[in-house]
Amino acid sequence: MAEVMRGTIRRWGSSLAIVGLVVALFAVGGVVVDGFASERSLRSILVLAAVVGVASAGQTLVVIIGGIDLSIPFLIGFANVTAAQLFGAEWPWPMVVLTTTVMTGTIGALNGWLSCRFRLHPLIVTLAVGTIAQGAVLWWTSGFPSGSVPRELTAVVSLGSATGPLPVPPIVPLWLAITTCLAVFERWTVLGRHLFALGSNPVAAELALVRPQRVWSITFGLSGILAGTTGVLLLGFTGQSSGTIGSPYLFQTIAAVVVGGTPLSGGQGTVARTALGSILLVELSTMLVGLRLPSPGLQVVFGLVLAALVAVYGRQKHTRELL
Amino acid sequence: MSRVDPQLRLSLALLATLAAVNLVANPARFAPEQLLTSLGLAAPVILVAMAATPSILSGSGGIDVSIGPMVGLLNVVIVRYGVGVLDAPPWLAVLLCVASGTALGLANGLLVVLARLQPIVATLSSYLVFAGLSVLIMPEPGGSVPRWMAALAKEFSWLPLAGVALAWSAFRWTPSHRDLLAIGGSDRAAYTAGVPVDVIRCAAYAMGGFIAGIAALAMTALIGSGDPNIGAPLTLKAIAAAALGGVSLAGGRGGLMNAGIGGLIVFLIDLTLTGVKASVFALQVALGVLLLGAVMSNAFLAQRRSA
Repeated sequence: MAEVMRGTIRRWGSSLAIVGLVVALFAVGGVVVDGFASERSLRSILVLAAVVGVASAGQTLVVIIGGIDLSIPFLIGFANVTAAQLFGAEWPWPMVVLTTTVMTGTIGALNGWLSCRFRLHPLIVTLAVGTIAQGAVLWWTSGFPSGSVPRELTAVVSLGSATGPLPVPPIVPLWLAITTCLAVFERWTVLGRHLFALGSNPVAAELALVRPQRVWSITFGLSGILAGTTGVLLLGFTGQSSGTIGSPYLFQTIAAVVVGGTPLSGGQGTVARTALGSILLVELSTMLVGLRLPSPGLQVVFGLVLAALVAVYGRQKHTRELL
Repeated sequence: MSRVDPQLRLSLALLATLAAVNLVANPARFAPEQLLTSLGLAAPVILVAMAATPSILSGSGGIDVSIGPMVGLLNVVIVRYGVGVLDAPPWLAVLLCVASGTALGLANGLLVVLARLQPIVATLSSYLVFAGLSVLIMPEPGGSVPRWMAALAKEFSWLPLAGVALAWSAFRWTPSHRDLLAIGGSDRAAYTAGVPVDVIRCAAYAMGGFIAGIAALAMTALIGSGDPNIGAPLTLKAIAAAALGGVSLAGGRGGLMNAGIGGLIVFLIDLTLTGVKASVFALQVALGVLLLGAVMSNAFLAQRRSA
């Protein structure tokens, strides 16, 4: 019983710690950076966090089952280029979004299936499959992707637009909805619980009739769909497609997951906290940019803060505690 | 030890095929008088793959994703300070490079062992720090290297590789090598058997840093200048090369020889595809397919072995 209590305290304790950090960082930013707490800056923080957050939600699920998805940046680029080409070919936008995400979802599912079926390290599988997918789409467009971006898509992400009565562009509620759905999925559905079972003990999970190949395919498939969604959304930002637009998201998604307190060892964590992790990361970089730090300096500080944050609440157990 | 590991045999077969293809497609590169220059061209990727290996061997998710930017940072440090400020004689420049590499690797090791961050998080943080510092030290590519260092990519291109081979052979003679593989296989079992898990694991990262120092020398010799952006893309190449050569990413299996062969394979793939003037994107697809194919056949072999 005491064990359970302590577990509960620990779980909620770290959630509270992250909420506290998000609030504290916002306060600090508001004091040290002019205009940090303005409505405009708040809005941009939310929009940027939404982009990171959508991709990181998929990464979280993959990490929970004990995997890791390095194909996210490649699939973002893949979706970005594919969507632009299809828009350019005058496809209606729902068809474009559907086709693109189904494609990235299938590639993602392939990642999961290959890793599980052949017991390959997902790090290498996702890297290889991602490389192939991105290379293929760039090969197809010979490196000069063309296409166009419809105004509807720009409105979804542009800082100035609103969602009905909400003063934020639709991407923010979209992110919120995705996070909520996935949080419900992981917490209250059978499949969702299977993720945790597989992540904490694959052998025991299989004995409990969890079908690993199916779960791995679905989870990586979801991550692929979310990466594809991110790729399409990014198209609205830049107005121009690029196969390498996803590169920053390789490490950002992992950082958001980890800062959100989901350990990479699997079996624990939640999508909701990753959303907070995304906000925290964006707050931090907004603040550092606001302090007029040059971008390499920003990278250095970012690295140090990442290590410090994780050292505070994401430490691993010592070998002797695992015996 | 006398029996050749089937995994190694597979990598060697792939290597032989690629070498044969290149020999036909691009004989000039393999002319006797060109051989050392070609080796100098291959040395950086081979050495970086080797540098990524000790941390992977140490198991429990051990990996050093900072290895690429680390080589990049050492490159600009040696060009900016070693050559530029100090005008160091060869021994001092080499010492500077290797010692700072070891120190950076040790810092990673301490983050993993003392701060107990998960290796990928710890080294991701240092990835960002190293990449940022490189640009702060040298915002634009530039600088030059003395003649003796440029020779390390030409007539003396075997020297960095031989140095690492020698150091690793010496290490293999010590009981610590077996300890490293033991903690990679199961750190819990090794811990109960009295292996100093933390010390060995930390040392593995430092060793990676040491090799990264030598890789940086080879890289600097090859490009003949400092370039703050040369390091970052090396990480994925290094890890892929190690896996291609048969280093198990789960830890405990493989060695520097595997990584070296993997590095050579990656180099030959690059060479083949640039030789046939394929688009870089086709090259990218081919690299991915080969990587996937190689790890899958490794998995088949492992399954057959255990069956």
